[in-house]
Amino acid sequence: MSPRTSHLDSLLPALSEAYGPPGREAGIRAALKRAIRGLGPAGEDALGNVHLHIPGKGARLLLTAHMDAPGVIVTRVDSSGLVRLSILGPMAAADWIGAVVSLNGSGGRASRAGGGGPSKEKSASLGVVGWDRPKDMKDSREIEPEALYLETGLGTKQAVRRIAVGAVGAIQDRAEKLGDLWCGGNLDNRAGCAVLVAALQGARGLRNDLHVVFSAQSDLGARGAATSAFGIDPDVAVVLDVAFVGESKGGDIALGKGPCLGLKEEGFLPHPAALDLAKRAAKAAGVPHQWLIRESGGSDARAVRAARSGVPTALVAIPARKTGGPRVLVNANDLEQTVKLVRGIVTTPYTGEKGSR
Amino acid sequence: MSVNGAPAFHESLLEAISNAPGVSGGEEAVRAILAEYARDKVDSLEVDPMGSLVARIEPATRRGRSGRRNGARGSGAKKGPHVMLCAHMDEVGLMVTAVEKEGRLRFRRVGGIDPRILPGQVFRLGIEGTRAVVGALPPHLVPRTERDKVTAADDLYLDIGARSREEAEERVPVGSYAVFDTTYEAWGTTRKGKAFDDRAGCAVLASLIQRRPPVPVTAVWSVQEEVGLRGAAAAARRVQPDLAIVLEGTASGESPGAPPDEQYPYMGRGPALTVQDRSLMVHARLLDAIEDTARRHRVPTQWKRPGVGGTDAGRIAISGSGVPSAVVSVVCRYIHAPAAFLDVRDAQRAVTLVWHTLETLRKEWP
Repeated sequence: MSPRTSHLDSLLPALSEAYGPPGREAGIRAALKRAIRGLGPAGEDALGNVHLHIPGKGARLLLTAHMDAPGVIVTRVDSSGLVRLSILGPMAAADWIGAVVSLNGSGGRASRAGGGGPSKEKSASLGVVGWDRPKDMKDSREIEPEALYLETGLGTKQAVRRIAVGAVGAIQDRAEKLGDLWCGGNLDNRAGCAVLVAALQGARGLRNDLHVVFSAQSDLGARGAATSAFGIDPDVAVVLDVAFVGESKGGDIALGKGPCLGLKEEGFLPHPAALDLAKRAAKAAGVPHQWLIRESGGSDARAVRAARSGVPTALVAIPARKTGGPRVLVNANDLEQTVKLVRGIVTTPYTGEKGSR
Repeated sequence: MSVNGAPAFHESLLEAISNAPGVSGGEEAVRAILAEYARDKVDSLEVDPMGSLVARIEPATRRGRSGRRNGARGSGAKKGPHVMLCAHMDEVGLMVTAVEKEGRLRFRRVGGIDPRILPGQVFRLGIEGTRAVVGALPPHLVPRTERDKVTAADDLYLDIGARSREEAEERVPVGSYAVFDTTYEAWGTTRKGKAFDDRAGCAVLASLIQRRPPVPVTAVWSVQEEVGLRGAAAAARRVQPDLAIVLEGTASGESPGAPPDEQYPYMGRGPALTVQDRSLMVHARLLDAIEDTARRHRVPTQWKRPGVGGTDAGRIAISGSGVPSAVVSVVCRYIHAPAAFLDVRDAQRAVTLVWHTLETLRKEWP
């Protein structure tokens, strides 16, 4: 392990803790801007993507990792003071049970006293996600989002006053290290964000004109990545995300065996030249890798690949494991290997033809 | 005319476009009324290749006007952000797909119509407005076991009283659109009519361009929203606005028997603001600007229910390199059904809120 990559031990918990559900990424945006200070000029666009440009000679290379984390949105406070929710993104309702949720983070909203309507006053609240357990547990196989609630402990009167329709919640959780594993509620995709920051901090000898995007609203359908890729119009792109054990068909992925290179996901096939860039970087850096083939679900790669007249795109995914609750697991060695791989990608010249899309 | 410093809601226009037919892909009649209305009020007017009506209107020059001269400092004066205001012209309806030898018309639904509301309805076909009835057996002839069942839309047909294929084809060609046969009426402050989703938004938008707006505005009356937000997506790529506000007629949550906390939003309690729907997370700062404006100008507002529905704003927001977008809606009862209701005071409040929001944006948007 190189001394620089131990940055992850502080970076990962810090980024994991930041509030940033889809479309309300102000907290994680601020944390990332702090983390990349000094690397180059950083900005923010209409959808709230963080964009960093490190000018260099060579192909225009876009590296993206989505920064939004699983979210919920308040639909109403019911007559018993429980806060009813709708889910933002693909995390299953069942996996939310037991999550500690922060409403609003630093920039959310709450209703004015006595009114359920829009208002300026904003305050943060904490709650824990529960669900209406059916009397007969045989009926509990499928948990619908409508059965979820947030218990805030405020009591009916206070909850109605303080929790507004439209307040957005995110998992309040730090990444904790358990042996070689990191465990946390926001590791999809704060793990990717941390890896990307760590890789850039240690990178020397860039061989491309590098654009880095921490994308917003990925969990709502790669919205931020789509507009970023349109604006940057890259020659080649590499998307960094996580992939879950059990998702890959024909040879599943495992924790501890290195980063995955995506061969297929819903709506996405990598461009051969972009995949070649990732493979050459892995080989040169001595990074072992696995193959990811997922039939359903996906990352920002699809949107980036189809931006404008098409962008040669590869997908690098950190293997992760679901726990059946809000927390997911990643392996610290995989993170170190992915840092090496990303560093290899930015220091390997892209040799694909422009326009061969 | 002016209400609370904002243009007055143009109700007779709502009546005209509510009565006009305009199923997705066949919006010509609605577009003609709006184009005629807008022609002498805007700086340019065109129909884009998708069929959306696009009007550009520059702000009033501040210089020489009485009162404050906001931002007018020589030729480099700040005009404020270029705002796209968008409302969709199309409504849900039916399309005739085949004529059977007995003269019955088979149809497909265009957009989201609940098959439960179809049997027995009267429709108007084509621009001529040929009347047709969705045939249904009288209760006498329905077997007891079938009485509680809903007939699938594919098993229904439109009947124009023709007795043969030839007779029917002569009057109604395959491909004709059908709209609910409903006429606009005023009942107190309630207005009854068809297609308030989104003729209400169309009329709010039209009302806003009666005067030169505080910021440069491109008004888009879009096509094919109900079949996949198509017109607005294309228009946004051409217009490339700095910001977008979509004007909608949205569903009231009022439902007898449901707990009170589930019944919002309500007709008559002011425009509904969206935080999130299936197509969009509303831009936080733009939403703040709208909320602040509502508070300052004492316009009552309420929340639209999160997690359901989707609007043109979803596509506009992700067009190009992204457009901060929001949705302001008039709450209507019974949308996507033969007769919808709205409260005409809500329509005026929507005009007032958006007008003053444009003023806020001129001053405060970077």
